[in-house]
Amino acid sequence: MDFDFTVITSHARFLGSGIVVTLLLSILSGLSSLAVGFVVALARLYGPRGLKPLVVLYIDSMRAIPVLVVLVWTFFALPIVTGITMPPFWAALIGLTVHLAAYVAEIVRSGVESVRPGQTRAAMALGMSRAQAVRRIVMPQALVRMLPAFGSLLSITIKDTAIASVIAVGELMRQSETLAGQSFQPIEVFSFAMLVYFLMLFPVTRGVDALYRRVAHLGRS
Amino acid sequence: MTLDWGVVWQHRDALVRATGTTILLTIATMVIALPCGIIVAMLRLYAWKPIRALATAYVELFRNLPLILVVFWAFYVLPILTGLGLSPLATGLTALALNVTAYNAETFRAGINSIRRGQLDAAMALGMSRAQALRRIILPQASRRILPVLASTWVSLFKDTSLVSVMAVTELAYVAMQIRAQTFRVLEMLTAMAAIYWLLGYPQAKLVDWIQRRFAVTE
Amino acid sequence: MMSRHKSAQPRIIRYQGVIKRFGDFVALSGVDLDVHTGEVVCLIGPSGSGKSTLLRCTNGLEAIDGGAIEFEGTSLPRDPRPLRAIRQKMGMVFQSFELFPHLTALENVAEGPRTVLGIDRDAAQARASAMLAKVGLADKGANYPSALSGGQQQRVAIARALAMEPDVMLFDEPTSALDPETIGEVLNVMKALAEEGMTMVVVTHEMTFARRVGDWVAVFDAGRIVEEGPPQQIFEAPLTERTRDFLSHLGWSG
Repeated sequence: MDFDFTVITSHARFLGSGIVVTLLLSILSGLSSLAVGFVVALARLYGPRGLKPLVVLYIDSMRAIPVLVVLVWTFFALPIVTGITMPPFWAALIGLTVHLAAYVAEIVRSGVESVRPGQTRAAMALGMSRAQAVRRIVMPQALVRMLPAFGSLLSITIKDTAIASVIAVGELMRQSETLAGQSFQPIEVFSFAMLVYFLMLFPVTRGVDALYRRVAHLGRS
Repeated sequence: MTLDWGVVWQHRDALVRATGTTILLTIATMVIALPCGIIVAMLRLYAWKPIRALATAYVELFRNLPLILVVFWAFYVLPILTGLGLSPLATGLTALALNVTAYNAETFRAGINSIRRGQLDAAMALGMSRAQALRRIILPQASRRILPVLASTWVSLFKDTSLVSVMAVTELAYVAMQIRAQTFRVLEMLTAMAAIYWLLGYPQAKLVDWIQRRFAVTE
Repeated sequence: MMSRHKSAQPRIIRYQGVIKRFGDFVALSGVDLDVHTGEVVCLIGPSGSGKSTLLRCTNGLEAIDGGAIEFEGTSLPRDPRPLRAIRQKMGMVFQSFELFPHLTALENVAEGPRTVLGIDRDAAQARASAMLAKVGLADKGANYPSALSGGQQQRVAIARALAMEPDVMLFDEPTSALDPETIGEVLNVMKALAEEGMTMVVVTHEMTFARRVGDWVAVFDAGRIVEEGPPQQIFEAPLTERTRDFLSHLGWSG
């Protein structure tokens, strides 16, 4: 068995664009799911009573439905409902955001709940409003505890972008799949893809492990 | 836009069979990945240095690769490397098992390491062998921390079976999308697919919550 | 040096030039000490001076880097199997008790006999009951460690070690983690054990115990023994400056 890695170098542009799309999709869906997730979590924690069961339903549903299903539904079925067709990248972005925001909301909720209620009481006894207490006292402490879980979620986000290949988003998985099929050199192409993903993910996983160790001693404040 | 939800009912047999395959795939993967995970964890913790390094490399590799890539790799590359011609189902099972074994190994290792060193010392001071200490003292305590994580891994696995659809394994996602392609009833079939996953997945997620509450460790 | 009462008894443990390193840190830099059968040897000294390390080397929980430790005439083995056999003859009591939380007090005490000695369940539990009665906890057998006070847990730990019928008991700061009220009940059990003739090596900060119950005291500092002798010498007429310093820092006034 001899390997010919020139297939990689001769298609550098093709594969490179895949890497760019992977990074772009990861960062954008990471940011948007953070934003949406925070809002959802705040709505659950401090919003009107009636909202809470809806939020819980949303979060638990995203735990039950695979990412693949969410992406496929967003790309193929949503346009039928809304009448708006969208390019694969945007469908992937929306689908990933909706899916990941549920996990962000859970992380934020458990982070906030891990801060002793006495902290809020103490802050309000000093004369702060509830919003001030949350913003200045609870959130900073909660954020430290949330960091490792967010790191974990970043790792998951990058891996989930690969699933977008199923709806023809031109990220790395899709490009590799196409090239492997055309060139009949799956070993070289997929090895390359594995290397790239590993190099992207390994630092994140390592960082998360280190963060978990740092935070481990905190326990409940 | 006219919707025909009857399509779902017409194809109920195929959908039920496909759901069965999904469930079977989940169970079969765990049946393999649980004992294999324990073995890899033991190798990582207690084996001779080169073996420890190999086991660690294996776990780190699969923690840092997208599962869908592993599925493609198993389908395209594994037959060439091993000369074996496995069915899509077996290949999918292999990919899933490789992935979940790595996660389980990490779960077991972390769980065992979370037990205070003093417990091992006390057991060994009584004259127990390491194996005895593990079996009678460490693992019973570690299981409290390990079980909730395993439950969570199970639910993730259940969802991840959908990824082997890219290899035309006749589990739920693949079959639902096939029916969609044949009948052109896109919204109905995709919604039905999501609904079936939801119906199966939601109670599992709630069960995981219950397990995590029940086994919550307060130090 | 004053005379050693029980030196006529056979030597049960001999430490010769024991060296132990943790990376760059030298925890023990050449320790020589004898323990005779039936003696209560107390190891005292500042934190980090190597007392606990010596104890952990005695039953092989830590491997020594130099020198030798002899137990009942033979060198401490390095292979796991013979080492385990030796450990059955030594009972160890830890500062943090280290009871097994998933077992009741009775099951804790019976665990050694059952798993290590292979004694059947009923006989092991009978032995365990007897041991619990010996430490004054006959009625606490069905309780889990979390339901017991610190002093009670430590007494169960002593019973657990005794259930193996060891030739020597090793105590690693047995009362350092206890509330003042419960220290007494543990020290009383240890005193009773000593009076029965059990050989004991005790790392402790309880100077009154060492003074009253100890037969021989070794003072540690920075990984070596700076002075050893009977309690009367160490506590009333110490020979070295280090010992005097250490005792005065503790507020020991004799």
